[in-house]
Amino acid sequence: MDPVRQRLANPWILLVFEVIFVTASETLLKVGASRTELVAGWEWTGLLALRSIWIWCAIGLVILSFLCWVYVLKYIPLSIAFPLSNVVHVLVPLSCWIFLGEHISPRRWCGIGVVILGLAVVAKPVATIEQKL
Amino acid sequence: MTAQTFIPTVVFAVEVTTTVVGQLLLKRAMEGSRTIGFANFRTLRLFFGGVLSLTISFFLTIGLLEHFDLSFFYPIQGSTVVIITLTAAFFLREKLSPQLIIGTLLISTGIVLVSLS
Repeated sequence: MDPVRQRLANPWILLVFEVIFVTASETLLKVGASRTELVAGWEWTGLLALRSIWIWCAIGLVILSFLCWVYVLKYIPLSIAFPLSNVVHVLVPLSCWIFLGEHISPRRWCGIGVVILGLAVVAKPVATIEQKL
Repeated sequence: MTAQTFIPTVVFAVEVTTTVVGQLLLKRAMEGSRTIGFANFRTLRLFFGGVLSLTISFFLTIGLLEHFDLSFFYPIQGSTVVIITLTAAFFLREKLSPQLIIGTLLISTGIVLVSLS
C-alpha cells in the first residue's frame, strides 16, 4: 500500500476527518434550519428543512463523516472513540462564534477549556491502544 | 411541565436514546465485520438497525435546531458521552480505565458548563 493510502487507512486520521466533517455539517444544519419557515404540526420533525440547499450540503458531510466513523469503529473501542469525537463540542461552538456570530459567554469558554482538559486525559490511554493497532 | 417544555424534552430524550442505541448497534456490526464478515445477515441487520436509529436521531436533531441556537443545543446533546461510554462498558464489555473515566467525566462537566451558559 502506498504511503498516502496507508495514512488514510489509519483510523486515528479518519477520526480527525470525521470530527471536521461533523463540525462543518452541524454549522450548515444550523444555517439551513434557521432559514426554514416553521409550519404548525411539522416544526419538530425537521423534514421541512429539506427544502434548503444548506441542509443537503450538511447531509453530504454527514454521510462522509458516517463513513469515516464506521471505519473508526472497526478498529477503535467505542468507549475511546466516542469521548475523543467530543472535540466537536469545542469546535462547533467556535465555528458558530466565527461563522454565525453566536455569542460565547465566559462560562462557556471555561466549559470549552474543561472539555479540552478531559480530551487530553482520555488521549493518554490512546497511546497504548495505538501501539496495539 | 408545560406543553412548551414537554415536547422539546421528549424530542430531546428520544434523540439521545436513538443516538446511543445507534452507536452501540454500529459498533457491534463493525466488530462482526472483522470476524464473521460484513455481508453476513447478522452484521447487516445490526448495521442497518444502527443506521435507522441514527437517521431518526438526525432528523430529530434538525427539528431541535430549528428552535435552539446550535451553540446551546449541541453541548447539551453531549451528555451522550457518559451514557455511551457506560453502555459500551456494559453491553460491549469494553474496559474502562481510571484515566478514561476521569477524562469522560471532565468532558461531560465541561459540556454541562457550556450548556449552562
